[in-house]
Amino acid sequence: MLVLTRKPGEGIIIGDTVTIRIIEVKSGSIRIGIDAPGDTRIYRQEVYDRIRQENIEAAAGWDMTDLDALSDQLADRTKK
Amino acid sequence: MNTLQTRFGEVSYDAAQILQFPEGLIGLDRLQRFLVMPNRKEGPLFWMQSVDDPDFAIVVTDPTHFFRDYLLAPDEREREKLGIDADGACHALAIVSISDSREITLNLSGPILYAPATNRGLQVILDDPRYSTRTPLPTVPAG
Repeated sequence: MLVLTRKPGEGIIIGDTVTIRIIEVKSGSIRIGIDAPGDTRIYRQEVYDRIRQENIEAAAGWDMTDLDALSDQLADRTKK
Repeated sequence: MNTLQTRFGEVSYDAAQILQFPEGLIGLDRLQRFLVMPNRKEGPLFWMQSVDDPDFAIVVTDPTHFFRDYLLAPDEREREKLGIDADGACHALAIVSISDSREITLNLSGPILYAPATNRGLQVILDDPRYSTRTPLPTVPAG
């Protein structure tokens, strides 16, 4: 991993299209500004990791009888 | 016709039936093609079977059955990925999980946007503290 030291107000340019700027350092937190093209996906790492893990877990642990039972249980709730 | 060996047995499908996820699921970029499987039972739950990984299938539901004020509007980037314009229909789907105690929860913080016109889907992350990846169903009011 490339490690750089930056001060508030300084930035980093990644490729031709992404700029990262250190906005503020305050009480242990760092505010970062990111300029990137509109189609770039930017996530907080822990949020991304949680959704990824959730996707993996959602695909495990099911069997067909679970789904049958739950469908019966929910059918009444969704009838309009 | 193509075939796939899955937990549902051998599944035959036509390329036109495939639901395309141009970006895959979040963190699982290679899972870009899914089949919606007919359920054995009536009800709001249905399976999405991955074509790219026959062992991967998830259960999804329309979250508005349970959370009537859960509204998602795709932004411009998302509409572009889905291949629809500002007027194009787009529905939310929530991935369903089952807990150890056999209760179901919905992932309301990582829902799927689905555009029927193009048969494309996109998983998005909502930065909203009201929603969790394991949101229990609301309790049914008595009577």
